Amino acid sequence: MKKTVLFLSAILVIFLISCGSSGGKTIKLGMLYNMTGSQASLDGPSANGAKLAAKEINAAGGVLGKQLELVSYDGKSDAETIGKAAAQLVEKDKVVAMFGFSDSDMVMAAAPIAAKAKIVFITSGATSPKLPSQVPDYLFLSCFGDNVQAAAAAEYSWNTLQAKSAYLLIDKGMEYTLLLGKYFKERFTELGGSVVLEDTYQTGDKDFSAQITKLKALKPAPDMLFISSGPDDIGTIVKQVRDAGITGPIFGGDGYDTPLLMQIAGKGANNVYYTTHSLMDKTAGSPEVQKFIAAYEAEYKTPPENAFAGLGYDTVYLLVDAMKRANSADPKKIREALQTTKDLPGVTGSITFAPGSPIPQKGVAIIEIQDDAMKLAAQVVPEKVPAP
Amino acid sequence: MSAGEYLLQQILNAVSIGSLYALMAIGLSMVFGILRLINFAHGDLIMVGSYTTLLLLLGGTPFVWASLAGIAASTVAGLLMERFAYRPIRGAPDVAMLLTSFAVTIFLENLAIILFKATSRAFPVPALLNTVVSFGNLQIASLNIISILFTIILLFLLTLFVTNTETGISMRAASQDLVAARLMGINVNRVIAAAFAIGSFMAGVVGILWSAKVGKVDPLMGFSPVLKAFVASVIGGLGSIPSAVLGGYILGALEILLQGLLPANIAPFRDALVFLILILLLLFRPNGILGSAEKEKI
Amino acid sequence: MKQDRSTTIVSLAGIGLAFLALWLLHAFGGYYIERIVIGVGINLILVISLNLANGFTGLFSLGHIGFMAIGAYASAILTLPLSLKSTNLPDLPSFLARTQMAFLPAVLIGGLIAMLVAFLIGLSLMRLTGPYISVATMGFLVIVQVVLTNWDSMTRGARTFAGVPEYTNVWNVWIWAMLVLYIVWRIKFSSFGRKMMAARDNEIAARSLGINVVASRLLAFCLSAFFTGVAGALWAHFITAFSPKSFYFSQTFSVVTMLVVGGLGSLSGSVVGVMLITLLSEILRNAERGFAIGPLVIPEVYGASQVIMAILFVLFIVFRPRGLLGDAELDVRKFFKREKEVAG
Repeated sequence: MKKTVLFLSAILVIFLISCGSSGGKTIKLGMLYNMTGSQASLDGPSANGAKLAAKEINAAGGVLGKQLELVSYDGKSDAETIGKAAAQLVEKDKVVAMFGFSDSDMVMAAAPIAAKAKIVFITSGATSPKLPSQVPDYLFLSCFGDNVQAAAAAEYSWNTLQAKSAYLLIDKGMEYTLLLGKYFKERFTELGGSVVLEDTYQTGDKDFSAQITKLKALKPAPDMLFISSGPDDIGTIVKQVRDAGITGPIFGGDGYDTPLLMQIAGKGANNVYYTTHSLMDKTAGSPEVQKFIAAYEAEYKTPPENAFAGLGYDTVYLLVDAMKRANSADPKKIREALQTTKDLPGVTGSITFAPGSPIPQKGVAIIEIQDDAMKLAAQVVPEKVPAP
Repeated sequence: MSAGEYLLQQILNAVSIGSLYALMAIGLSMVFGILRLINFAHGDLIMVGSYTTLLLLLGGTPFVWASLAGIAASTVAGLLMERFAYRPIRGAPDVAMLLTSFAVTIFLENLAIILFKATSRAFPVPALLNTVVSFGNLQIASLNIISILFTIILLFLLTLFVTNTETGISMRAASQDLVAARLMGINVNRVIAAAFAIGSFMAGVVGILWSAKVGKVDPLMGFSPVLKAFVASVIGGLGSIPSAVLGGYILGALEILLQGLLPANIAPFRDALVFLILILLLLFRPNGILGSAEKEKI
Repeated sequence: MKQDRSTTIVSLAGIGLAFLALWLLHAFGGYYIERIVIGVGINLILVISLNLANGFTGLFSLGHIGFMAIGAYASAILTLPLSLKSTNLPDLPSFLARTQMAFLPAVLIGGLIAMLVAFLIGLSLMRLTGPYISVATMGFLVIVQVVLTNWDSMTRGARTFAGVPEYTNVWNVWIWAMLVLYIVWRIKFSSFGRKMMAARDNEIAARSLGINVVASRLLAFCLSAFFTGVAGALWAHFITAFSPKSFYFSQTFSVVTMLVVGGLGSLSGSVVGVMLITLLSEILRNAERGFAIGPLVIPEVYGASQVIMAILFVLFIVFRPRGLLGDAELDVRKFFKREKEVAG
């Protein structure tokens, strides 16, 4: 019995010691990603991208004469853990800004805590346009909202692909895929297109034969398929759709921006289109992208796993740019400077915040895969964007 | 595609996916039959086998050898799991065993994340497994034909094993009554190890087929199939091999038909319906569709 | 109980000390510590109510997190500010769309709805035994998950349910925790509690003594679901933004682990289990970020905390299959008198 008590007290002592704060002459940014758990496949690449950016910045002399330090905790895909980690970043690590996460739940577990401490939180990967209004003034997106990319996809399908009818397959398990599908349908039907069948699946489903057979039974066949899916499922879906003999254009969002798509679907990836931030190609991409991919490969021995890697990378540069312009690492000045970001070039396109808007105005890149290669089909700004 | 062809195609789909569920359910069911253990970590054996195969493939090993090594890795992992996690706690409450299997899952999944990173990796599939055979409007992937064939062959061998070998007969005895079996001089450790070995071997086979079907592997890939296989083994009646197989096919059929025939606004509730059926079966036929109507096994 | 008065005094003193400790933590601990303390309080309610269902009756439910989800969503919907309701939940039935409730009634209703659901499913499930009940309740968990993910008009489906007012604080959580602990303690040592445990240890013998096993199980199950629903509601007003996937297997596993480590049937075991696991996982979570002991630098290894916890857990089960305390209770007086192992 006494042993148990002693053991518990020993643990408590170690714990209190480990809580001791560490000082230093660095500028600290709080980085929160889920390195384990269900979100890890999206967040891992973002964290890698961010670390790469910090390394480059420090190699080039840091910011404001100081080195940049990314203080990071594993969110473990768990809201309670994230809350605690955010509190630690504020209290113990005294970070000047936070960023991270690719999912609204996770963002909302951390951003309000940052806001209470009057620190900005930038989400690198959560693209719900409704998100920032939940934490006014302190929550920023570093990417476009889903309504923008969905509108671009709908307009391109209608105008360029001349699609009049679409089949819609939506992952019901993710906010991102739900919103993307909803906004696409809204804009596509507004243009005059029709959605002939809307079907669903759940994140992590591996067998799509029932849905595909249903799709094949459609008469007449739809002009295009809009498949709203995350990066972990899309390769499998495209493979199974093509295996069933369906050859028409498949369209989707930035969830498709992963080398897995072409690796898994092989030839089946041809005639796939998607909206994303920029053309992630080692040879055909912009100079920034080429440099990024080369640096990423050198650091992690793999090309960027999905679009989130570039977004994490750009988010760090976005914060550093704000600090440089503010000439200060004061959280309040960072926030003010962030809001006035203008034409900041990045891997995922240039970033400009309109006054009062926490969502950047970014162009949408439309990528087309033909002859086993991706190419930039168009760089567009949608004419009309559905309201969030 | 006519209505008849539509139905036929969906039935083909159901048989294909059902075969994989059946193979997985066998392993779960054999272990449950003897130990009353719901081994959640069974799914992670799939992951172990798939990653082993993938790494060997990337190293240039031919597909057949890489797969065999993957299946061997699953089998070894299953035996290690039994030896180091389940054997020491044999006799602990059911709950403790169940939780241990959860802990093993967490251990293996996070170890895989540490070793291989959390992001999915493409699983290169050889052309033989990656072609589509058409019969008029109907299509069946070569992989599915192979899955069905493998299921039949493995099932045949397994039936021979449990009816004709000493270990097999001991195994059936142990699943009837573990204590009595021990009293009859059956080496329980050997029997349980054999059950794990066979179950893990099947998991290894499923791992290859599943990864080829999905086209990628990731550290958490085992969890959702094991949940399905578990449902399958309950539907059939836990603890018996033919029931597990039947359960696998019934589950495959249920999933495909519910997804294929239900209107789009109800189809997302598919899994809820499947589990509802599971609960109803537990209530009214606790020994599964094939099981006797005896109320419950205690 | 023989020493009823001294037990009461010791309990009161314990509660007094607990709140003093809470006040100290609140005053000096800062926000991080406060979040841990709230988390411990909520987990305590979850584990104790699971103990009521699992430890006392021997029916191992894996579906309790489903009740937590029901409590969380019910209370969140009832308290959501009207302005947010019209934008985030435009398709709510009109009587809900016009309601904005205070914290306490919403938490109570959350618990009651969870209890009602428990009653409806318990009517038939309580007839099952052994692993079959675990399977059936796990099925319930999946069904709740699927329904929450697809009932767009009430739950926003898989989308984040945000904007839940942050009502939960150290005080109301711990008042609830103490209340639940007290009630369940009383039940354990009541004649009803003894009947339940008799039925757990030998169902046939209990039946022959005229104990209505199914009815007593059902009562325990419903009460347990009520408290779990309350814990869910408190959690909702603590985290303030969540989606159905917050209430699934990983949450189930974490609560069940705390229960089993403490000991099935032991309330003081539950308290120790929650605190021990919370502390250990906090230490490991901080340690896995990498640290230096003098010249020895350990790099960050994310996932290491889960791996170590899993190994520790298996070792723990091997050496103490019945948990720290079995179904016995910690006796403070014995501790002061003389060193004596109280575990069963």
